[in-house]
Order: sequence, then C-alpha cells, then structure tokens
Amino acid sequence: MAKIILHSIGTALEKALDPSEAEKNAAHLAGLEDALEEKRAEVRAGWGEKYVARVHAKGKLTTWERIELLKDEGTPVQPVGTLVNYGMTFGPDERTSPGAGVVTAFVRVAGRITMVIANDNTVASGSWWPKTPEKIERAQEMALRLRIPVIYLIDCSGLYLPEQSATFPGKTGAGAIFKMNSLLSANGVPQISGVFGDCIAGGGYMPIISDVVYMTEQAYMVIAGAALVKGAKSQQITSLDIGGPDVHVHLSNCADHRVPDDETCLRMIIDEVKRLPTSAAPYYRRGVDPSPPRFSTDETSSLFPVDYRHAYDMRQVLARLVDDGLFRELAPETGPEMICGVGRVGGLYTGFIGNNPGLTPHPVLRGEQRPGSILYRDGIAKISQFSRCCNDDGIPIVWLHDISGFDIGPEAEKQGLLGYGSSLIYTNSTNTVPMITVLLRKASGAGYYAQAGMPYDPVAQLATTISRLSVMDGRTLAIGAFNTKLDDNFDVVAETAEEREKIRQGMEAVEARITADMDPVKAARQMDVDEVVRFSEIRSYLETLVEATYQSCGYRRVKNPRIWSLHDIAVLGEGGS
Amino acid sequence: MFRRILVANRGEVAARIIRACRELAIESVAVHSAADADSPHLRFADRRVCIGPSPSSESYLNMDAILQAAEQTECQAVHPGFGFLGENAHFAARVRQQQLTWIGPPPRAIARMGDKAEARRAMKAAGLPTIPGTEGILGGVDEARRAAIEVGYPVLLKATAGGGGKGMRMCGDETELARAYSEASLEAEKAFGNAGLYLEKVLVGARHIEFQVLADVFGHAIHLGERECSVQRRHQKLLEEAPSPVMTQAVRDEVGRQAAEAASAIGYASAGTMEFLRDGDGNHYFMEMNTRLQVEHPVTEMITGVDIVQEQIKIAANQPLEISQDDLHIDGHAIEFRINAEDPDRDFLPDPGAITIFEPPAGDGIRVDTHVEAGYEIPPFYDSMIAKLIVHGADRDDAIRRSVEALDVFKIEGVATTIPIHRRILAEPVFRDGSYDTSWLERLLAGSEG
Repeated sequence: MAKIILHSIGTALEKALDPSEAEKNAAHLAGLEDALEEKRAEVRAGWGEKYVARVHAKGKLTTWERIELLKDEGTPVQPVGTLVNYGMTFGPDERTSPGAGVVTAFVRVAGRITMVIANDNTVASGSWWPKTPEKIERAQEMALRLRIPVIYLIDCSGLYLPEQSATFPGKTGAGAIFKMNSLLSANGVPQISGVFGDCIAGGGYMPIISDVVYMTEQAYMVIAGAALVKGAKSQQITSLDIGGPDVHVHLSNCADHRVPDDETCLRMIIDEVKRLPTSAAPYYRRGVDPSPPRFSTDETSSLFPVDYRHAYDMRQVLARLVDDGLFRELAPETGPEMICGVGRVGGLYTGFIGNNPGLTPHPVLRGEQRPGSILYRDGIAKISQFSRCCNDDGIPIVWLHDISGFDIGPEAEKQGLLGYGSSLIYTNSTNTVPMITVLLRKASGAGYYAQAGMPYDPVAQLATTISRLSVMDGRTLAIGAFNTKLDDNFDVVAETAEEREKIRQGMEAVEARITADMDPVKAARQMDVDEVVRFSEIRSYLETLVEATYQSCGYRRVKNPRIWSLHDIAVLGEGGS
Repeated sequence: MFRRILVANRGEVAARIIRACRELAIESVAVHSAADADSPHLRFADRRVCIGPSPSSESYLNMDAILQAAEQTECQAVHPGFGFLGENAHFAARVRQQQLTWIGPPPRAIARMGDKAEARRAMKAAGLPTIPGTEGILGGVDEARRAAIEVGYPVLLKATAGGGGKGMRMCGDETELARAYSEASLEAEKAFGNAGLYLEKVLVGARHIEFQVLADVFGHAIHLGERECSVQRRHQKLLEEAPSPVMTQAVRDEVGRQAAEAASAIGYASAGTMEFLRDGDGNHYFMEMNTRLQVEHPVTEMITGVDIVQEQIKIAANQPLEISQDDLHIDGHAIEFRINAEDPDRDFLPDPGAITIFEPPAGDGIRVDTHVEAGYEIPPFYDSMIAKLIVHGADRDDAIRRSVEALDVFKIEGVATTIPIHRRILAEPVFRDGSYDTSWLERLLAGSEG
C-alpha cells in the first residue's frame, strides 16, 4: 500500500454546529482577538511617533519600514516573540520595552523564508533589555533547526545598562547570541548582516560572524563608543571616526561593503539572498499545488465554545488547517481520544497529532464513554508510534494541544501510564524532525510535556487567546493545595464559620492566581510561548513553518512516500490481510 | 497509456468518453445512479458500478462513492465530463490525492478560473484583452459607481464566485446600480457564500465566441479555432457552429494565439475553452475560461479532425501534443443542435418520460452523440439533453442545407423536443446571413422580430 489516500474531513460550519452557537463563539473570540490586535499595534508602535520622527530626522528608516522593504511584495511578515516583556517596565524611569526592543520574524525574501532579527530603533535606539538576548537566541535557534537564512538588521546602542545584571552574565545572557552566531555558521546556515547605525559593544559582535556584513554610511561598529573612549582614554573623537565604514570596510576588514543608505543596504541584502539556493519546497511537493483548506480558516474561531470546559470536534479544526480538508488518519479506532495522521499544508506532507475533546468509547467497558482531552494508554501508544514514524520518515509534526493531562487513579497506575508517558517523552525528546506545537486551548500538566510542549524544543510554540497553560486548572490546584481542609465532597471542614471563610477565601485566591497565570499574554511575555495568534492565522503560520522545514535539502526531511514506515504501521493496525 | 478509466458522469457525455476510451483501447468503468441502471450507454462500458440513489447529490455528486468505485475497480484515471463534478477543484484534488490521474487541468487552475474576478486578473496579466471594468472585488457601492462612470453605462454587476446568472445584475443608470448592488451582493452571498462583486461594461449587440485550446504538461499550447455560440436563450446555448460566420483567418490566428499563450502562462494542461465577447467593432474581450470539456466540442472536432476527448486523455497520460499549430487546418463548416426533451411551446418546460420512437438521421457529415434509444425512459432527476446532432458541410450554406434535411428526418416520439425550434431558427434570414448576436433568439421567441 504505497498509496496515501487522503479523505475529506469536516463539514461546512452550518452543519458542524448550530448557527447561533457559532455566532456566539465567534463573537466571544472576536473580543479576545481584537484585544490581542491592540496589544500588537501597541508593540509595533515602539515608543511612538516622537521616536519615529527622530529616526527619520537622521535620514534613516524605522525597523518596520526596513522589513517592509525587505520582504517580497504581497507576502506576510510573521513575527515571533511580539509580546515578550509586554506590560513590564524596567529601570529607575520605569521604561517599557515593546517587543524587548527587537523584531524577530519569518519574512519571505526573494522567495526564500528567512528569519529576520532587527533591533527596534524606535525603542531606546535598539537597546538590549532583559529578555532581549533570549528573544534573539530563540529566533536563532529556530533558524538553526530549520536551516533558514538569518538576516540581521542592526541598529543597537548596546545593553540597557540599568538592567545589565539581568542581561549580561547568565547562561542566556547576551554572550549566548554570539555563541548562536557561531553555531549557525558552523552548521552552514547563511547569516547576512546589515549595520544601519549604532552597533556598540555586544551589538558590535553580533554582525561580525555573519557571512557578509554591509554598513551604511551612518553605521559604526565599536567595542566601546565615543563616551567610553573619552572616559577611559581622554580622547575627543566621534564613534563614526572610531568604527565607521572608513575603518571597518577599508582598514580592519570587519565589514565587507559600504553602502550609501538604508534602501541600498536592503537591496544588497536581497541580492545576497538571491544568490542562495532556491527553496526545495516545490521539489518536495512532487507536483502537487499548494491549496487552501476546504473551509475558510476564518471559521475556526466559531468552533470553540465560550465555556472552556465544553467540547468541540477537533476534526473540524483539522479540516480548516490542511489543504482541501484532506487527511489520512492512522488507527482511528485505537485510542480515539487522540487523532493522528497525515495531511498537506501548502502542498507539503505534515503529521498532525491532536486531542479529541469530545466523549469517546471506552476500550473495555462496552457501551460506556469517557471524556477526551486526556491521555489514556492506547492513545499514548498510538501517538508515540506515530511521532516516531514521522521522525523516521522525515515528516514535520504539528501538535494540536487541548490536553488536561494524563489519566489518573489505580487503573492508570496499574496500566503503567508513567511508563507509556515516559516512552512518549523519550520519543519526542530524541526526535530530530521539526515539531510545532499549537496550544489551541488547554495545555495542562504532564500532558503538555508529553505532547512536545516548550521544554521539548518545538521549533515554534503558538498559542491562541484562549490557551490555558498550567500544571492544572485553578480549581483543581486549589483543591490540591487545601486538600487537608476538605471533606470527600470537597466541602470545607472547619471548626468555626470564621475559619471556614478564611479557607474559602484562601482557595479562591489560589484559584484566581492560577487562572491569571494561565493568561496567554503572560505566557508570551515570559517566552513560554513564541507567539499568540488569532485562530484564523494558525494556518498561515503553519504554512510558513512547514515550508521552512522543507526549504533546504541535503539533510533528512521527507522520504519518498513509498517507503514511509507509516505504511507498515497501517498494515499492522489492520491486522494484516 | 492508461489501462482503465472511470467515467464519472452519465448520459450523452459518458457515452462520448466511453467511445474515446474504446478507440484508444482503454477499458472504461461507467458509474450510474439507481435511476440510470438501465441506461443504454452502460452496455458500452467494460464495467459498471452503481454509486447511489437517483438524486445526483447522492450519486453523481457523491465524491466518496465515486472514489471508492475507482479504487475497487482499480482504475488509473478519472474523466469527469461536464456538469456534476466536471469543474470541481476539490474533487480534482481528491482524485489526485488518491494517486489517480485527473483527466482535466490541475486543480489550482480550476480554482483560479472558477473565481471570475481572479480569472479576469490572471488573463489580463497573461495578455488577453478583458471587458472594461474593475480589477478585483469592489469595495462598496461608491467604488461601483465610480467605476461605472469610468466605463460608461450600461454595466453588469457580477458575482466573483458566480455562475448561472446568480448575483448578476444589469444596470442602466446610477439609480439602478445603487439598488442592484445590495441585491446582487446578498444573492451571491446566499448562493455561493461569497458576496464579492465586480463590474463590467455591457457590450450591446455582442457575440459569444469561444476558442478551444489544448495544452500539454510540457507547456505547449495550441488553439483549435473558434466556436460561435451566440444563439442563446436565457444564457443557455441552443445551437453552436464553427467557424463563426464573422471570423476572418487573420483575427482567428491573432486571438487564438493569445488564448493559447494565456493557457500556457497559467500552467494549464488539458482541453479548455476561453470565452470571449466580440463587440460590434470586431474587438474580442476575454470573459471567462471553462476548465473542462464543452458540450459543443464536436463542432470543433468536425472541422479540425482532432478528437478532443482523446487528446484530453493523452495529455493526462503525460504525452506531448502531436499536432502543431501549423498542422491545423479548418475544413468546412459544422453546426451542433442540442436536442433537449423540452417543450418549446410550453416555455421550454422539461418533458421527461418514455421515448417511444428514436430514429436519428445518418449519412455523410452527420453525427449524433447520444445515449438514447427507442424505449428509453428519461429520468426526471437530471438535465433534459438527450442528444446532439452535429452536421458537417463543405461550407456554411452546405452545412445549413444538410442540417435542414437531417432535422426533417430526425424522428423522436413520446416526448417533446427542441427539434421544431431548431428548424425555425434555420429558416430565419438573420440566421442564414449570420448576422445574429446573443440577444437575437430571445427577441425572436418573444415575437418582436421575425
């Protein structure tokens, strides 16, 4: 059976759920997603008009203007880490650092998907804040895993000094950026730098390891700028004289080319990208054209109930993610609380593993059903094997999370779920194929780990505005924490009414704190997720990420689909013939 | 070449495709609904599979059942014919995902040409002249108003997802436009789930002329000349002829070359038809592209000697085109008459039922494409076309003369047919001198011209 027959899944929205229900769901999410858009706009505005004017006054472009000129016309810019540091302030002046002062985004340049790392010159002249190094390193890590070219647009006045202790010395301190520069270079991932202005100290090291470095006439790169030289050596001299293109292009050879202005610099960078190999994605598509999902991705948000405890049909979500709504499910009868199979995204084979939140038949007790979004033995075994197959076959994996956690209780322990779960964790930890996680809704407990959550190095982890990332739900955690004060019916056991009230308030406080912790914006702020996206954007992010995994050849990605190990598993599942 | 092809259609076109398969020594698998279980054409197929109950939604439109039939009969390719799933990009994609060959253009080309505004944009970019109008979807009634002033009234509002006249409105002035805009947009939303509209200038007194193109997977494309399809009733073609009585060789060469190049430019591979409107001054404007076999393909076959269905199959099997543009010559004139079981005296009401006598004409230059024979019961579930009479002559006058004779002897009893209306058309001086346009037949039937 070398045929991979994909089947139509999902239905039109009006057949999937009641129109009034769909409308209610869509309205609920529209509110949340509008709020997300506002936050994004806020970040994108940097420190505002005044700073934009300041950049323009110097005859330079803002970072976003540079990116717009760099990208292929009509293609999206897909940022990661937009909300890093969102709502936080630093230093004695309580300054904000929108996007941690750096834009990291997937940008299509000359037909290739690239990772652009660009200091935001409207935020403290592109200074590095707490978490800025981590954000840059994360983007570099994505590029390393995907082997896509990195373009640095540098305009950075160095560390934001009042907070240096948070950005300088640690394992992920600024120095780790240069280590990543080196690793990217050692692994043959192209790096191209344009220096557009200040490039001081740490900033100065960032471009040098790149394969090629362009400098505009306004750019300078220095270990220490004019102020420090004045202090240490009593010399009156401008930074441009110390480390401008006159020095670095012609004397030190720390940069390769000088260019008159921002626009020319960007044009030269595009020309460099054009000299790289073209994308291998059309080759791996094997003559199949990319095709949109059968049903509009705009409908996806309508599928998610207002109450997060209510179920929905994951196949309807999948139908709005895969090309033409066509999907090949593996072993649908086994562990039906998990859905796994292969579909195409932008014409490229992609493995999907998702939780099925609805009720599914109990494997032993005939006629009984049990809740989904939980890892039971059969489902764990199925997805573990599927994950291994995808890794063997070189098919990127997308994990669609709506997981409460592992099954618990005597039955679960007797079956050895600890062992099955560990096997799954081992599989995901040792996979080399790129994995992408999408936290559609719940991402709780060890289930989040077992499904390749952030600690398991997904190339990207996306969240929605209703993601709930935590060890467990607030209510459950409160019960756990106050366990000794509760009876079997979870009622508070207390001597006096006063004490009872105190315990009740304590539980409420815990529940409220955990629920607040589950805010996806908070998760994004501290980089537990890479980007919070609208439901309608998930598909376009996946298109980019999946295509990026197929962009380079020369390393194991996808095998000829005739020799996929998935076929063997399918035969075993059927019990042979 | 393929060993076995599934024919995902019924009636006359299924019979036509099965004939092409036999001529290419390919086995054919016919699918049929419960209502078509006794259809005579099934006898010519090598195998037959019932795919469901009579309503087409449960049979001829049932993708799962058709794909299942293809799998279990071990077919290698699927020919969709026209109508039903003939231009369904999703079905084409599913056929291809099942590692079956789709005998038709790539699904993306179908989807692209199915979106009328996008087709217009793509063809304009590929160098074809388009009817003066808007680029892409209108942003609102104000934009429509500005565009209408620019191209000049009357204008036509059209649904981008459109077809069958739904979401289409002719507007003679600004008041009509304002009213029609919201109507058309609502209608389009309801019919296609896509409210997008675009606007075109109405070309008064225009003719509907279409070019047949063939393109292979290696990027070669040729045209097989034009067909004249202006004899229409309510946007439905009734009679087609080739070549067009108003076409010169120089214009044919020029527009045909453009059509073939445009097909090549969008990565088209299969047979396809570019529809043009020709205005009174002889300018041709691209209207839309049909990404399938056309009902009226036989008139082109009769004057070029090219078997279009066989070419579709060969292209799908990755064979390069064997005919070059220079090899192609037009020989004589052909006219096709659609014989529908409809009663012209009762506003063309479909007239299903039993055919008691069916005696088609025969002889030199006479071709009848049909699945019908005496005793055939026309099921009420599908369209009413029961046969196509195609007549070839040395020139247009000869073809008309032979047509009159052929229609005179064509004997069908038991149901009403469109034969009388064809005889009436042939007798009209306006038809005889070839000076008709797309509104002529409507006016004739309304009795305002005669």
